[in-house]
Parts: sequence; C-alpha cells; structure tokens
Amino acid sequence: MFRTLYRTWFEFAGWLFCLSWWLFWLQRQICWWQPLVLWVSFMVLFFLTKQLGYDPGALPFVAILVLTGWVFLTRLNPTWATQQFWGALVACAAYVGGLWGCRRRFAHPLVWAGAALALLLATALFGQSAGGARAWITLFGLRFQPVELARIFLVFYLAQYFTEGRAWWELVLILGAFFLLLAWQRDLGPALLVFFVFWWMSLYWKFTWPKLFVYIACTVLGFISAYLWFPHLRSRAMAWLWPWDYLDSKGYQVLQGLFALRSGGLVGQGLGAGFAHVIPNVHTDYLFAVIGEEFGLLGTFSLLVVYLALAFWAVRLLHVVEEKRVQMIGLGLTLLLHVQVFLVVGGILRLVPFTGMTLPLVSFGSTSLVSQFAMLGMVAGLGGKRGGD
Amino acid sequence: MRKTFLSIVTMFGLLCLSLFYWQVCADIQNHPANPRYYQMFKEDRGVIFDRHGVPLAASASDGSVYARNYSTPSLSHVVGYFHQRYGMTGLERRYHEDLSQGRSLITTLDLDVQKVAEKALAGRQGAIVAIKPTTGEILALVSSPGIDGNALDGNWSSYLDDERSPFLNRATHGLYPPGSVVKPLVYGAALGEGLVERSQTWQDQGSLVLGNRTISNYGGRAHGSITIDQALAVSSNVVFAQLAISLGDRLLEMFRRFNLGIEVGFDLQNLGGFLPSGVASDYDAAQMGIGQGELLVTPLQMATVASTIANGGAMMRPYVVQEVRGGLKMRQITRPQITSQVLPPSHASALQEAMILAAREGTARTSRPSSLDYGGKTGTAQTGPGGDHAWFIGFAPTERPRVAIAVLVEHGGSGSQMAVPIGVTVMEAALGIDQ
Repeated sequence: MFRTLYRTWFEFAGWLFCLSWWLFWLQRQICWWQPLVLWVSFMVLFFLTKQLGYDPGALPFVAILVLTGWVFLTRLNPTWATQQFWGALVACAAYVGGLWGCRRRFAHPLVWAGAALALLLATALFGQSAGGARAWITLFGLRFQPVELARIFLVFYLAQYFTEGRAWWELVLILGAFFLLLAWQRDLGPALLVFFVFWWMSLYWKFTWPKLFVYIACTVLGFISAYLWFPHLRSRAMAWLWPWDYLDSKGYQVLQGLFALRSGGLVGQGLGAGFAHVIPNVHTDYLFAVIGEEFGLLGTFSLLVVYLALAFWAVRLLHVVEEKRVQMIGLGLTLLLHVQVFLVVGGILRLVPFTGMTLPLVSFGSTSLVSQFAMLGMVAGLGGKRGGD
Repeated sequence: MRKTFLSIVTMFGLLCLSLFYWQVCADIQNHPANPRYYQMFKEDRGVIFDRHGVPLAASASDGSVYARNYSTPSLSHVVGYFHQRYGMTGLERRYHEDLSQGRSLITTLDLDVQKVAEKALAGRQGAIVAIKPTTGEILALVSSPGIDGNALDGNWSSYLDDERSPFLNRATHGLYPPGSVVKPLVYGAALGEGLVERSQTWQDQGSLVLGNRTISNYGGRAHGSITIDQALAVSSNVVFAQLAISLGDRLLEMFRRFNLGIEVGFDLQNLGGFLPSGVASDYDAAQMGIGQGELLVTPLQMATVASTIANGGAMMRPYVVQEVRGGLKMRQITRPQITSQVLPPSHASALQEAMILAAREGTARTSRPSSLDYGGKTGTAQTGPGGDHAWFIGFAPTERPRVAIAVLVEHGGSGSQMAVPIGVTVMEAALGIDQ
C-alpha cells in the first residue's frame, strides 16, 4: 500500500515541480505557495479517502487537471488563478462533504426535483446576467451559479425515477419545467447536458431502438425549435454552422479558438508563447484552446486521456456496486462530468454547438469546481468501502 | 458499465480525431481573421546579410512595433519584402520559418555589386545576374524597375499602375528570345558532334538563302573567309545558321543540357522558359541557331550558361543563401554542387577563347576604356514592336574566371552598345570587391 502511495505522489510531485518551475521562469510574480497548498490539500484528501476505506484513485487525476487549470489561469491573469485557488480549497471541503453525505440517506425523489426547480426558479427571478445568460445569484456577497447544484439534484431524481419506476408524466413535467426555466435564463449548456445525461441513463437502464430514435428526434426538434424561437440560441447555432460567414461577430469566438488550436500544432508554442488571450471569455469558455495552442496536440490528447482515466476509475468503481439506485446516481454524476467535457471540447471543435460551459476541473469558475469536487466525492462514496490494498 | 465506458471512449475518440484535424491538418493559419498572421509582421525577425556581413534586410523597433528595413530598392526581387498589408516575397517568404524564429540568413549577394548593377541599368527595363562560376554563388541579381521595400505603403498604387510591371522579377520570370547569345551553345554542340574544326574556314557572304527566305547578318555585313572563332566574335548569322541546320535536333539536345526550357534548381521561384520539342525545317533550325526561333529564356538561365562555360563546362547549381544560422537549431550551410558536366573542358576552353576574341576584337568590345580582361558574347534579339532586346553574357578575368554575368536590357537596341558597357561595369565591380 505504501509503495503505491509513494509512487503516485512521487509522480505527482514531479508534475507539480515542473509546472511551478515553468511558471516561475515565465512570470516572476508567481504565487508559488498556491500550488503547494493545493498539492498538500489533495494529498490530505487522498489519505483521508484512503483512511475512510474509500477508493482515492480519482485524486491524482483531479490534481493534474486542477493544477493544469491553475497554471494556465496564472499564465493568463494571476488574479483569476488566486480566485481559482480559493475555489479549489472550498471544493476540497465539498469533496469531503460528498464523500460523507451521499450514502447517509436518500430523500424522496420529488424533494430533489423540487429543490432543483426551486434553485432554477430563484435564479430566473433574482439572478444576474453574465455572458448572455442570467445564471448568477448573489448570496451573502458570494456569487454562484445555482444550476451547477440543480443538475446534481436532478440526477438524484432521475436515478430514483428509473429505479422506482415512477410515472412518466411526472418526469415529463419535471424535465419540461427544468428546460423551460433554463430557456428563460437563456442558458443552453446545462439544458443540453442534462438532456444528454437523461438520454444516456435511460438507455443504460433499458436499451430499446425506438427509445433511441425518439431521443434523436427530440434532439433534432429541440434544435430546430430553439433556432426558430430563441434569438440568443439562433446566433449560437449560426456561429456553429457558418462561423466563416460571421468572422467578426457571431463566429468570432469559435474561429479564434480554432486559430489558436491550429497554431499549437503537434507540440505547441510553449507555455506563455501563445496568442489565445484574444479569445473572448478565454478563462471560462476557452481555456482548452489556450492549452491546445501552448501544449499542442500532445497536451490536448494528454488532457483527454486524464479525463478518460477518471471515467475509467468511476466506471470500475460503480461496476461492482449492487444497489441499482446507487449505481444509477454514480453513473449520472460521471456522465454529468464527461458529457460536459465532450460538449465543451466538441463545441470548441465545432462538433456540437458551443454552449459556454466550463471545462470541468480546469476552467475558471468556483461554483463548477465545487460542484464537480462534490460529485467526485459522491462517486467515491457511492463506490463503497473497499478492503485493504 | 463496460458499454458505458466504451461509449465514453468513442466520444473521446471523436474529439481526438477532430483535434488532430484542427491542430495539425486544417489550413487556416494564414486566414485574414487570424491575428497571429498580423502579429508576426510586428515582431523581431532574423537579419538577412550579404556575403560580407552587411545587412540587406533588418528589423528595427519604433519602441513598440518592429518594421523591416532594406538596404537598397533593387533587393525587392531577390530578398523580397515582408509587410503586414502586402505579405511576403522572395527570400523573406522562402525562409520565413527560419527568419521568424530569429535565425539569420547569410546570402551570397554582394551589396556593392548589387548597387553598381542597379545603377548601371539606370532605370531601364532589364535584368542583371552575376554568378561566381566556380561555385554558383549569385553575387548580384537585379531586375529593373524595382520596388522599394521601404516605401511600399506610399508607392503601392503607383507600382500597380506602372505599365513597366515593377513586380515582375525579370531575372527569373522574364522570358526573352536569346538572340546571338546562344551562339556559344551552337558552337559547343558542333564541337561535340565533330562538325567543326577550329582551323577550318567558312565563307560568309552576308546572307544565306533557304528556299524563299533569307537569313542575313546583323546590318547585312559580309565577313568573307573566317574561322569559327572569328564567326562567333563577329556574330556571323550565316555561319551559325549553317551549323544549326547540320545539327538539327541535336542542337536542342545541347540546349536541354544547359537547362534551357527547364526550371533552374534555385532558392527562388523561376520559370523554365520555352524550348520547342523539335525543328520542323532547315529554316527553323537556322533561326534556332541564331536565337530567333521559338526559344525563350530567362536572364538567370543565360547567366548559368555563361558561368558553365567559364567553369570549364561544369554547371554549378546557382544559390543565393550561403548559410542559415542562429536560434537553437544547427547551422545550415549550402555547399557548392555540380549539376552536370555539360561540356568537356577542352570544348569549354575553345568557347572561352572564342568569347575572349569577341571581347577583344569582335562585337563584345566595350565602347568605353577598361582595363578589364574578359570574354563575352552579345545578342540583339529581334522582337517586333518596341525595338530589339540587348543581351550580353560574359565572364572575367580570362584566366580562372571569378565572375560570370548575363545582362538583358529590354528594347535596349544593340547588345554591343547597350549591354556590353553595363556588363563590364558590373564585372569590374565584382572583381574589384572580390580580389
């Protein structure tokens, strides 16, 4: 056991050292203690998870992702990195909360659904706008995005919907309300994400071809109706389909992202040598393009491999879980994270419309960092206690 | 769960494929909406030096943005220009990758010779290429009128409107009938085929009747009984037309060996000119032998012809970049390279002697006094409207030549009067510096 630990942490420390050195060389005003503190907190989390008998395997990958994000935020603007640092510390607490809390008790599914809808309603009523969507709420001087929490609650509901075999009209009502509230806030991303996660969970629960076709039809119809009725979404769709026709307006962000990626090539321009800071909202939406420009194809592939490793860890853990409800929740949470990676990276690459979500664990955004740590803590917790190493 | 994981892998595989396309394959780097493309025009950049270390092109900063400065306007056709609005050309373009990484080019050009050549053309439309015969180094390459790389912003529209086409690099892309400057090649081919003895005499009555058409000497002069060397020195159309008729298609073979009709392997883009695939009649062959047929050549090609003759028949690959150095990469040095042995050395020296004779007593004499000991051949290519093109190819000194040259002046009239003095001036400059 100690050998495994030593090896993991030795590798991880090497990583950290390289990154810090790069940054120190690049920007003299680096806050060297931040990655150190993060490293120590991840190590504490690792031992804590281990000590409690759960599988800590996610943490090295999480650490790599968070620190990569921190490095690139420092490169862009040290203020963002500092904010991200505090967010990550809160997120560590959220991880512990998820680990402890998830198996204590399952509330009634409608409680979760109600909580999710209430959060969205509150956002729609009292929220503030940023980046085209009204997705922010300020509470006690802190700004956060309730939708990050709401979608976790919705996954709880969905898992219990399938396992308890609840009435379909209830689901339709709840999902319908969820999507409408998001549409009201003009927040396309979470709606798409939750829809795909629902689709995936439903097919996982029971796969039938008609179901698949219905979902595909729903997706297409959804896109068409969004295109017809929501001007905000229409311009996003146009930026997706014909960015070259809207070089300076709608397509600007997408194209600048592609230029950045192309300029990275195989091995990248080197940390700090890129030109990606011209991309609007680069720290939240387009950090992946910065990584692509500065670390090249090698960097982006490595990042995707780390996400895959995280998925493998979660799937391997949930594979042996016997309680279906627990397994479905775990699956939903894993999918929330990985489908989001797909939507974000795919959006940058024009595989899907760009939805303006954060790249999980990497991009700037404390709320999403906290919720994703909580989710990973829950997955670790749902995986259950294991025997000794 | 296994299927779930495989689906996630598939999803990520799709991302990887797409990433590979957009990061490695997509051709969007130079799109006008890409700010990186403009950024490079504002950044520092490697220096382009001449052979003595004098900067030809260097970047200077005004405190925030770098801009390119060029030593002399005639460089725009060989060094090229590098400008945010007008893009890049010449060596600036060819070696952009290296230059943008801060690496320097050391060229074979000699700024003094380049300036002398630019001045000698005095704004006339034409081109001069000077080569070091033993290595193939380009000492000067001028195309006139040039464009001033330092004043593109102010002059661009006038360059565009200029009927003399200043953007055209006449040295590499100008196609001209060679006129009598091909005669050394006819001589060489005839020697190779054993059709001529140097002691043999030829009768030149001033014109040659072929069916219902006539080939006449320049000015209709009859030279009487002359050897082949003398025929070259006085540029006898009658003698060379007869030789060309006996050679027939074998003459074209010699042209091909001299790379006429074929692009020169060179640092800069260039045209191959035009070489017909065969001669249809005696008249065609005769026209070819005096450089008046369908054959079209570039001044660069004729400079390599002169250089090959001067180098004992060994054709050297011309080059203009001697060395790329600096940055983290290894130095990259160009080594002289023989393209082929076009003529046996004995034939090449016969040609040299005939050209020296032409320079001492024949048409390639210089009208102004000069101590330069050189060999050469003139050409006056008839073109129809606008007047004849004046040609001169030559080499100097006569012992172990160190410079070979081709001069072309568009519509310059007689090669002897127009092109020879220019060639002599440039060769003097080249030797004066090179000695």
